[in-house]
Amino acid sequence: MSTTATPTAPVAVPRNATRKSVLAWAGYAAVVLVLGFFAVASPHFATPGNIGAVLTQATVFAVAGIGLSTVIATGGDDVLTGGIDLSVGAVCGLAGTIAAVATTAGLPAGTAILVSLAAAAAIGVTNGAAVVLGLRPLLATLATMGIATSLELVISGNIKTALDGELFRWLREGSIAGLPAAVLVLVAIGALAWWALGRTPFGINSYAVGNNATAAAVAGLNPNRYRFGSYVISSVLGGAAGILLASRLSAAVPGIGAQVLLDIILVAYMSAVFSRRLVVNVPGTVVAAVFVAGLSNGLTLLGVTSQWTGAAKGALILLVLAVVALRGRNAR
Amino acid sequence: MNLTQERSTPAPTTPANLPPGTGTAAGTPRTTAARRAGALAPRLITPVALAAVLFVFGTMSPVFLTAGNLLGVLAQLSILGLVATGLTIAVRAGGIDLSIGVALDLSALAAAALIYDGYRAWVAIVAGLLFGLLVGAINAALIFLLRIPPFLATLSVWFIGTSVQQLLTGGGAPTYLSSRPVPEGFALLGHGWFLDTIDGTILILVLVALGTGLLLSATRWGRAVTMAGEQPTAAAIGGLRVRRLGASAYILCSLVAAFAGVVLASRTTSFVPGSGQSYLMDAIGAVFIGATLSKFGRATVPGTLVGVLLFALLSNGMNLIGLSFFWQGLGRGVVLLAILVLGVLLTRRAGSPSALNALFRRPPPRTQSPKTSQPVAPTTEGSR
Repeated sequence: MSTTATPTAPVAVPRNATRKSVLAWAGYAAVVLVLGFFAVASPHFATPGNIGAVLTQATVFAVAGIGLSTVIATGGDDVLTGGIDLSVGAVCGLAGTIAAVATTAGLPAGTAILVSLAAAAAIGVTNGAAVVLGLRPLLATLATMGIATSLELVISGNIKTALDGELFRWLREGSIAGLPAAVLVLVAIGALAWWALGRTPFGINSYAVGNNATAAAVAGLNPNRYRFGSYVISSVLGGAAGILLASRLSAAVPGIGAQVLLDIILVAYMSAVFSRRLVVNVPGTVVAAVFVAGLSNGLTLLGVTSQWTGAAKGALILLVLAVVALRGRNAR
Repeated sequence: MNLTQERSTPAPTTPANLPPGTGTAAGTPRTTAARRAGALAPRLITPVALAAVLFVFGTMSPVFLTAGNLLGVLAQLSILGLVATGLTIAVRAGGIDLSIGVALDLSALAAAALIYDGYRAWVAIVAGLLFGLLVGAINAALIFLLRIPPFLATLSVWFIGTSVQQLLTGGGAPTYLSSRPVPEGFALLGHGWFLDTIDGTILILVLVALGTGLLLSATRWGRAVTMAGEQPTAAAIGGLRVRRLGASAYILCSLVAAFAGVVLASRTTSFVPGSGQSYLMDAIGAVFIGATLSKFGRATVPGTLVGVLLFALLSNGMNLIGLSFFWQGLGRGVVLLAILVLGVLLTRRAGSPSALNALFRRPPPRTQSPKTSQPVAPTTEGSR
């Protein structure tokens, strides 16, 4: 038994590689098909203004989803015992509220953002510590979700707080070379996360821990350190998404955390469809976020009532998961 | 450390307490008494927390410990108690059911709508239970036929169920029964009194909890479900029909939740869309707090009821001392986190004396023979 082996990437050599890659392309094809249908069916869908709006909307889900993807990649994708961060939605709401309240109180925008990100990180540290101590992530983050929701109510007084300031206005309306500011943020964060999770030892080790923590420990990694880090990353990115969301709505709306949580979870798990190895990943998360935002937008443009959107999303997540489950079974 | 010692150590690696891969390092051998105390300590947290809640609020509010208030607390916890009892079955079967609020809501919707249209009580009750059966069957099909992980399958049922409710109620309009003559049999479910002193819903909860508890702990089915939940591979090799057992557990879970919905509709003489999901978080918390009471970290009905009681007393006490609703979520979250973390800490004490140090410590070099290397936590993960 060799213990000197350096941690290697969990490269699964696919047995039926061609079939799998075809199926991976099927995921992208479905996205193109659905969005293409909207573009044909509604004359307003493919206009530059609407595309900008969809991308701006997608930014929130994508940024928070990247955080959750990190947790899932590092914790393993078995939800009951593996990595999950239920508090990410509540942290989203909390960070937006803190930013809004701090700006209203007269703090400069930069300081307000720092304060809210620090609060988000504190929740992440709590999550990480509880998980490292041995608590199930599902339960630990359930408890912190309650705590963050309550803190949001306490700070906002359950009142919508306006978020105004040059920086936030730029995030909402500004653009560079025709690209909305929020999209630039998404590209920056997405590229950084893609590089960190896919191209650095940190990312590869994280995937190793998620695939088989015991093997990773034997190979000399400290699984707990990666797990702890992933929860902090998730919360900080959740906080960033909350600030983006609040600046898009130009206000922090109490209780919005519970609404975005489901979309964030959907986006993070859906990313596995866009991967040959069926693992949660960053580019897939971004694509999934654009798809979900485009779906909501397209359904609204076609005049479908909002009540159906939830059902459509639920059916979508089931479809995605069934595809993943069936592909997983075939590969075995 | 020889094998016999290892075998006699009370297994701290119950699935409820340890994530896979955090196998406890070989601890120093301890005396039997110390080991027993160590095994008992985590199970004492919840009773101690309960006593602390009673003591703190008892001293802070003069009304808290009066019989009237405590009976009122019991009457309030009955719906949550029913929901959590149902959830216990799903958790015992090794899963989780996030759609439990959907089963509750749809059954309350069906019952309220039928009573509103003047149907008899039993028709409404049966229709409510049928909706629960439907939700449970959908869950079971998704999880055991399509093999979608329980968390995600029931999460999507939650999505879809919320939509269905809004569509059925015309965008979420509540149904009020106050203007209608409600059949006595239906009104009795939520407004009955037992011996003129005890709220009827408490009696219903006791009966349902007793039935479910006996079903899980004293019947062949209960033992089989427990086995299938904790060691699916072993249970399958042992000849159990694991998927069929799991499916029956999810259906039963939804049925109990649906019954809670019927009771809720009768108690409030109305149906408000989306009222079921608010029980979900407390129910999950109660079930897992209850699991700390069990020697095996297993979800049990009595344990769940203790967890529900803890939440109900906490809410009541916080209301009585005038704590704002905004702060109450914080209080509940902190208590939940504290109990669960303490439970894990005390269970793991033998293996790792300084658990947080684990974060900053590299794993020890493994140069020994494979026999003495770190024991791998028995998980079901590898079998999936």
